[in-house]
Amino acid sequence: MTDAWTDRLSDYLDDELDPAERAALEAHLLHCVACGAALADFKRIVMRARALEDREPDRDPWPAIAARIGVDAGLGPTADPRPARPRRRWSFSMPQLAAAGIALMALSGGAAWLLHPVARTRLAVQGAPPTNLGIPAAVRAPGRGYDGAVADLERVLVEGRGRLDTATVRVLELNLAVIDSAIVQAARAVAADSANAYLNSHLAETMRRKLELLRQAAALVSSVS
Amino acid sequence: MTPPGTGAATLQHEAIGRTDPDAVDATLAASGDAHAFERLYRGHLSRISSLTSRMLGDDDTDDVIQDVFVRAWQKLGTFRGESAFGTWLHRLAVNVILGRRETLGIRRRRHLDGDAALETVPSRRQTPEMSMDFETAIGRLPDGAREVFVLHDVEGYRHAEIARMLGLATGTSKSQLHRARMALRRHLER
Ligand SMILES: [Zn+2]
Repeated sequence: MTDAWTDRLSDYLDDELDPAERAALEAHLLHCVACGAALADFKRIVMRARALEDREPDRDPWPAIAARIGVDAGLGPTADPRPARPRRRWSFSMPQLAAAGIALMALSGGAAWLLHPVARTRLAVQGAPPTNLGIPAAVRAPGRGYDGAVADLERVLVEGRGRLDTATVRVLELNLAVIDSAIVQAARAVAADSANAYLNSHLAETMRRKLELLRQAAALVSSVS
Repeated sequence: MTPPGTGAATLQHEAIGRTDPDAVDATLAASGDAHAFERLYRGHLSRISSLTSRMLGDDDTDDVIQDVFVRAWQKLGTFRGESAFGTWLHRLAVNVILGRRETLGIRRRRHLDGDAALETVPSRRQTPEMSMDFETAIGRLPDGAREVFVLHDVEGYRHAEIARMLGLATGTSKSQLHRARMALRRHLER
């Protein structure tokens, strides 16, 4: 059994209706058993879709890929046990909640892997480089100042890098680049939503992480002095 | 003097463990490190493979998967770390898959005659003893409905993005999704 509302149920589930339509449909759902059943089925379908397991192909395409890009397929990757990564782009909250919640999950992971389109759009419109406006004062000036501390440590690293082997320097620089990128992302998110306490604390945490890495690096330099 | 190697190893583990290892590997791979690229490949293979077979409604997708990773290797220099590597790779894969779909002319009769094709998804009444495998049911959706369903309900894209990627009106993306759900509904056990 379908009626005129049945074809609006997907839009309702996906939070694509305007408030007046949503209210009208919710009123209809109070007494239409058929639409209620269809909506329940759609929810189950969405949950099943989200729960689908990814599977590797029967044959490993790597040898063919390696041949096509001109690298040796036989060496195998160096051991790199990684924790299972989060899948896909949504969370298990329903769409109406997702719009509010997922940006935080994305950033709390320290990576944009889970970045929901909603969050990504918000980041994307913030094209300008972040300024100190987005950086919490508590982080910007712990003691004599975050920037000062970072600058000091970076100077130690620049002066001492000649004492480190090139592999170590490369790892350090890569990690600093990754953290700087995370700081840029976090600062953009804060710029888009400056009142968001979570985003602020995430940015602060990311910046602290950089400071910590620089401290470790400086300690490493002095240990080989 | 502490041997530099010890400190470096500790630092590497602690620092990378707390950041995104994919981003580090992507940087290494962009500079020609095939091991780093293979790690990325291993980490993302099942996701890309599943996306490919679901989008194309076909399990014989070896060469498309190859194309995705060959293209990724060629384009690594354009990965700027603005999004996660997985997000970048996923979008690249969707583009490769959509390009491939056109090349192969996979938009076959099912797309032209979608309503008839919906009927080719066996209903539960025909197979009362077991519910149809959900993956199989998705695979038998008409191409247009299946692509939108996979991108929206499986992968989490929004209609506006899907419409852009597939070159559809947003309303068409919404109606295709609804068609897909209506068709799949008939094959769910209650
Ligand atoms: Zn109704």
